[in-house]
Amino acid sequence: MSTLTRFSAIPYTGPAPTNRNPYVPADVATIDARGAEIAARAGVALEQETGLDLPAFIVAKEAIVPTLRALRDHTEFQFDLPLDLFGVDYPGREQRFDVVYQLYSVKNNERIRLKVRVGETESVPTSVDVYRAFDWFEREVFDMYGVRFEGHPNLRRILTHEMFQGHALRKDYDPAQRWLLSEQGVAKLKPKIDPRFEVEHSDFERVTLNLGPSHPAMHGTLRCAVTLEGETIVGADQEIGYLHRCFEKMSETHTYQQVIPFTDRLNYCSAVINNVGYCMTVEKLLGVAAPERAQHVRLMLSEFYRIADHIVCIGTNLVDLGALTNFWYLFQPREEIIALAESCSGARLLPTYLRIGGLAVDVPADFLSNSQRIVNMLPKYIDEVEALVMKNRIFRDRTEGVGAITKEDALNFGFTGPCLRAAGVPFDVRKASPYLGYETYDWDVPYAEGGDTYARFLVRFEEMRQSIRILQQAIDRGLPSGPVIVDNPYVALPPKEKVYNEMESLIYHFKLIMHGIQPPVGEAYFQVEGGNGEVGFYIVSDGTKNPYRVRVRPPCFPIFEAYGHMIMGQTIPDAIATLGSLNIIAGELDH
Amino acid sequence: MPVTRTAPGIVRVEREAMTLSQRAYLPQILGGMLRTFRHFLRNLFNMKGLPTISYPEVKRVYSERFRGRHILTTREDGTTRCVACYMCSTACPAECITIEAGEDQRTREKFPVRYDIDLLRCIFCGYCVDACPEDAIYMTRDYEMSIDTRARAVVGLRDLVVPPDFPVEPMGWRPYYGKMDKRGTAGGTGIGQPIREAPYKEEMPIPNPDVYRGA
Amino acid sequence: MPVLKNDSSIIERKTGVAPGQGPEKGLITLPGETANESDDLGGGSYLTTKLDTMVNWARGNSLWPLPFGTACCAIEFMSMVSSAYDIARFGAEVVRFSPRQADLLIVAGTIVDKLAPVLKKIYDQMPEPKYVLAMGACATSGGFYRAYHVVQGIDEIIPVDIWVPGCPPTPDGLMYGILKLKEKIERGEIKRG
Repeated sequence: MSTLTRFSAIPYTGPAPTNRNPYVPADVATIDARGAEIAARAGVALEQETGLDLPAFIVAKEAIVPTLRALRDHTEFQFDLPLDLFGVDYPGREQRFDVVYQLYSVKNNERIRLKVRVGETESVPTSVDVYRAFDWFEREVFDMYGVRFEGHPNLRRILTHEMFQGHALRKDYDPAQRWLLSEQGVAKLKPKIDPRFEVEHSDFERVTLNLGPSHPAMHGTLRCAVTLEGETIVGADQEIGYLHRCFEKMSETHTYQQVIPFTDRLNYCSAVINNVGYCMTVEKLLGVAAPERAQHVRLMLSEFYRIADHIVCIGTNLVDLGALTNFWYLFQPREEIIALAESCSGARLLPTYLRIGGLAVDVPADFLSNSQRIVNMLPKYIDEVEALVMKNRIFRDRTEGVGAITKEDALNFGFTGPCLRAAGVPFDVRKASPYLGYETYDWDVPYAEGGDTYARFLVRFEEMRQSIRILQQAIDRGLPSGPVIVDNPYVALPPKEKVYNEMESLIYHFKLIMHGIQPPVGEAYFQVEGGNGEVGFYIVSDGTKNPYRVRVRPPCFPIFEAYGHMIMGQTIPDAIATLGSLNIIAGELDH
Repeated sequence: MPVTRTAPGIVRVEREAMTLSQRAYLPQILGGMLRTFRHFLRNLFNMKGLPTISYPEVKRVYSERFRGRHILTTREDGTTRCVACYMCSTACPAECITIEAGEDQRTREKFPVRYDIDLLRCIFCGYCVDACPEDAIYMTRDYEMSIDTRARAVVGLRDLVVPPDFPVEPMGWRPYYGKMDKRGTAGGTGIGQPIREAPYKEEMPIPNPDVYRGA
Repeated sequence: MPVLKNDSSIIERKTGVAPGQGPEKGLITLPGETANESDDLGGGSYLTTKLDTMVNWARGNSLWPLPFGTACCAIEFMSMVSSAYDIARFGAEVVRFSPRQADLLIVAGTIVDKLAPVLKKIYDQMPEPKYVLAMGACATSGGFYRAYHVVQGIDEIIPVDIWVPGCPPTPDGLMYGILKLKEKIERGEIKRG
């Protein structure tokens, strides 16, 4: 079996990518036209920034709150889903920080980007009143860049610890400069009492209980302090950052190719999906597209890993609820899925199988037959677990109405993925802005009403079925023939055979390893549907081999932010059941 | 659970009202117990079909792409294929490879006088294998590498270099699957010309008992 | 001090000898590292050494792990507990989340500076004898996160008995580590408690 399905890579006759010319998106004219339309009709002053991959506007920092409110409440545009808020540092500029807001409109299925420029001593008015999701996002920007948000109710560090000095994502911060935390410095959480429960009308004294970060029900390293009145939760405060592995800073110190293993470790339950998101963003910047065969394999592995992600979520959540057997039943097909990935890539959980421009190697010969075997065995296990729990009254009593969130709140908190769909909004990136050819498959976006834990179970079970449907169609179509990585020596390594025997290939090989991939100067955002929602990568390239800025939009981040809101007025066991069903992955949450 | 199509491509998952038997707790509980008991019986009378791998006695065979412990391959004359070009250490995201290059006085060819891999730092991504232009570094299917002191996790030439007739069977991630082909080296010294001493001596005891050499 | 013979170990070894026995040929050996550590354990009478052996044997076969799982490795730990690998075969399936009830701390996943005091506290709460297994690149050395918020190996904070490389290690690789720890305990190499 040869791994070298690529056609002749040398001599390469295509254009040499020059990093001198800035990046221009393919459909820049339509994007700019749409941007002008929004600027004209939004009712607020918007200064358009043209030539980007999304309609983008520069907003004065005093005007940001009215602008956001106008865009949210606009009857035509309705940007009701806050996607992301992050900073970018340009130390050479007078106003060195860009604070970037990205919004999404469920109604129109479109995204926009707003930028606010601030200097080192200036501050931005807080937009927490417009979008509740931005509470934590603003804290993150403060933590990472030191940009202050005026009027923020709780502006303190979020990802790093209290004894941390400086702001890590600034360009002048040394990536390896650590600050140690002593036991005295551990944050004392003071849960904010919910307004509904401000009046104490109980015989019980209020108790504050700390859960985590090492607690069996706090998956990974989450921490939550709750104030209890009797058994009712009347206040909650979550603390994160216990797995802040500095993904974004590490990306800036590694080459584009080397960032791929880091993306694996964001949402480690569905590693391939992160790889797809990252690689496609870089491919967008480079203006290349992976060959059809690679895209097909990417799609299949994405769906397999989506199922594996849901299996881990459902299995562990049921363990929290006291149903241990399902964990063992469900992990059997998961083991097969992992073994399939291992047969392709050589590693079990975190395959690092994708490369920019395609795949590392071709899939093994038995890939399709193996996939068919797994697709055949999966429904049996899913049906069995569904039969065991979903009609069981104990289970229903414990999950129905528990941890419920309304549709409006879910949108305002920036939910995406299964949790948003369980609240009644059928938004799925795969349908809304298809990639990898999802539009050519016959499948449905499942959603449920209620937004409670039971609804999230319903959506996850149905989503696994839909993934199986997609996989069956993908298997029936068969793998397209052809190479698995682009035929471009500035992006992909030449085949080994040629490296050993041809001088020119050897030089390309050396150049690519030593100088890396150098995308054109510019910025790009690309989003995929991860296991927990929209995983988006925003990459700024300055034309060198290292990314200037990689921002990942972690779907868990806003979801866990809303956790305190969701468990208010409920009991501790309900809070545990809710947490499991949200499927918070710490690696992604803390990036 | 039943679904209703509300729009093209969008289905709503309905929650069913509980039937009388579901409301009564017991039938569902008994049904669940029956289900698990069936599993128990099936496993009891079909021990061979159990999914469990009895690990130390029975070992799982991973695919031939498995990314385990590294090896450095040698030419037929026993010299290492590595020419100390630093490609692997450049490509390594974990910066776990340390190389010191020496120069052969007669051929002016470089070779590693020191080649250390910190196994604890290593994330087994396989980038070093992809980056090697000399067919010199491969990965094996060896995953049993627990160590009881941190210092011993740094493996050097003594642990990494394998003899030319190293069998294919334990090998994992590498550019060529099937057999380990003896390929010409780009800019190398050619095969069969004993130029310099092998970096280890055959008669010396095998260095680290944890290193699986497939012998 | 009677020592468990290598050939009676259930770990199948292809070459070499058991750790601590015979010529140690690790590339870098620390001073005193190669000495057979069980030598200075004895000194007691025949009865007490026999008793020691028995106690060690019992300890080695009933490890109660506390999975301090933070990241990716925790998922592989779950795989090891699940039916395909089934750690129950070594008497270590009693996964305890309370440090008071566990004697093997499996640190699975990245430990960041913010979490370091927590890990120290958990380790301090465990009763003697206690053993620590560092699983995966991040816990053992920080892995490829040479970053401003990541502990570069948990031995900065707590002592470690077994290091399992891999990112993440396969479940069988982790099991090998546990078996090796078991052998170490049974040979009485770990002198705590």
